[in-house]
Amino acid sequence: MIKTLRLPLAVALLATGIGAHADGIRTAPMLANTCAGCHGTNGASAGEFMPSIAGMDKGYLYSVMSDYKSGMRPSTIMGRIMKGYTEREIWAIAGFFAAQPWTSTDRVASAKAVHQGQEIHNRLCESCHDDGGREQDDESPRLAGQWAGYTRYVLDVCRSQGDRCRPPKMGTRVKALSDAEIQALASFYESEK
Amino acid sequence: MSGITRRTFLQASGAVAAASALGLPALSQGAASKARVIVVGGGYGGTIAAKYIQMADPGIRVTLIEKDASYISCPLSNEVLSGERDLASLTFSYRGLGKRGINVVRDEVVGIDPEKRVVMGKGKGGYPYDKLVISPGVSFRWDAIQGMSEAATDTIPHAWKAGPQTTSLQKQLKAMRNGGVCIIVAPPNPFRCPPGPYERAAQIALYLKHHKPKSKVLILDAKDAFSKQGLFVEGWKRNYGDMIEWVSAAAGGAVEAIDPKKRVLTGSVEEFKGDVVNLIPAQKAAALAEIAGLTDASGWCPVDQQTFESTRHKDIYVLGDAAIAGAMPKSGYAANTQAKVCAAAIVAALNGQPAPEPSYVNTCYSIIAPDYGISVAGVYQLKDGKIVDVPGAGGLSPANADARTRAIEVQFALGWFRNITADMFS
Repeated sequence: MIKTLRLPLAVALLATGIGAHADGIRTAPMLANTCAGCHGTNGASAGEFMPSIAGMDKGYLYSVMSDYKSGMRPSTIMGRIMKGYTEREIWAIAGFFAAQPWTSTDRVASAKAVHQGQEIHNRLCESCHDDGGREQDDESPRLAGQWAGYTRYVLDVCRSQGDRCRPPKMGTRVKALSDAEIQALASFYESEK
Repeated sequence: MSGITRRTFLQASGAVAAASALGLPALSQGAASKARVIVVGGGYGGTIAAKYIQMADPGIRVTLIEKDASYISCPLSNEVLSGERDLASLTFSYRGLGKRGINVVRDEVVGIDPEKRVVMGKGKGGYPYDKLVISPGVSFRWDAIQGMSEAATDTIPHAWKAGPQTTSLQKQLKAMRNGGVCIIVAPPNPFRCPPGPYERAAQIALYLKHHKPKSKVLILDAKDAFSKQGLFVEGWKRNYGDMIEWVSAAAGGAVEAIDPKKRVLTGSVEEFKGDVVNLIPAQKAAALAEIAGLTDASGWCPVDQQTFESTRHKDIYVLGDAAIAGAMPKSGYAANTQAKVCAAAIVAALNGQPAPEPSYVNTCYSIIAPDYGISVAGVYQLKDGKIVDVPGAGGLSPANADARTRAIEVQFALGWFRNITADMFS
């Protein structure tokens, strides 16, 4: 009886990682918990320039982290950190955060900023970031309820890259935005829940 | 693992699903049910150990023993010296951990009996444990500099534990004349927060630049090199011109003696007189670790670097600044990820499982000016029982970066603080 039960237990343990020591594989929670010091417990950020990553699309998280690692996506510190992980580990980290519930910030911007941001969103962004930035897939991250500081930073970097910003259609649109428009757009997304 | 029944297996399978959502490999609440884990020290390591054990296996009874009613963060406390923030903004309550079901007890631990597995408190007496985690921080080697003593910190504050000492140093800076010299005595390795003394020099210079611009900051160092050195020197120059001067040990910066009343320091070559002297003493593991027999000849605590279990006493785990943790620096972020590795190892052990393969990270920001930040990151793995750098990962902010990069790193430093303290206290 004991013998027959050990095998499935071992399999279950491998799935969550406790029994994984023998082959040196680091589990998804073990890897992902090291991110919480900057991205919040389980990836729900306490603000404001660190994005919430809990509940984001797995494919999107994987490609962003891979692009940090390769240097394709510019960063201050993420590139240095992601170089410490294998592709398999990055996939495991992405899966861990994708499985967490999304948590929106509790911030709401002024009606004026939200109105201005919404107008820009409808005109330039809605075609990929559907439903006020709530929809997401492996190319388009969730924007609704994200910290405005982070969204502003990403748009600012994209604008400075201009035609080098990926995807190119985003670079083309973002490079024409003013500081005030970027702020309004970030505030609009932060206020959407 | 001898007694696995069908019932405990089924409990285990259910707990596996719940645990993976929580983030740590928890197992059977049945197997570890009513196991008692005591965590001593409610700082960057202890809070995280308590929280992540409780999250991974709510069946474990976790008690956090802390001597103070609230916590004051050392990281960012240099900003109090410049006037950029106050101590209240660095102060946190333990209520959030209490709400999670962790038993938070205010008491001072004065001893540990590793045979009987009991922690001795000053207040209530004994606290029995199955597993004990201590994250006690550092204490000071007063005898390293002749004439220095704990009593002398009234006039020569160390401000290396945030709180009244920070306020004392700030008051002295406010009272200092324009044209005065503030001396920072930087300690020998290893010590808590390797970039801290050099960030402090910048934050003091920020205050002086605005209020006493003829003044100087002089760093007398026990070392010939320091953390993020190139970036600090570049940042000091850019923001404060020649206001900050660093004297290496080889150049006579190693302080051998002090007259605390006169604020005169004896170096290996010459004497230095300061209007304000901030002497950061040489360090060792906190007194509790020494009393409990957890330290070695170095004064720090040897541990199994996969689990943080003491190599001196079974079932006692030592985290954070007090531990000898391979290539990791003594920083808040290091303590945070060490605590998670330790929590996973304890939860596994209480469930009769081997310790999981660990993963550790360090991220450390220094704020040189309100729009000028720098960072260092490290990613670590276990190799042959030692914590080592993952080759090719980590490293410093680039030299000669543009103004926007320096400015955004300050915002990331502040975001780091919000998130790591939320990870600790909520």
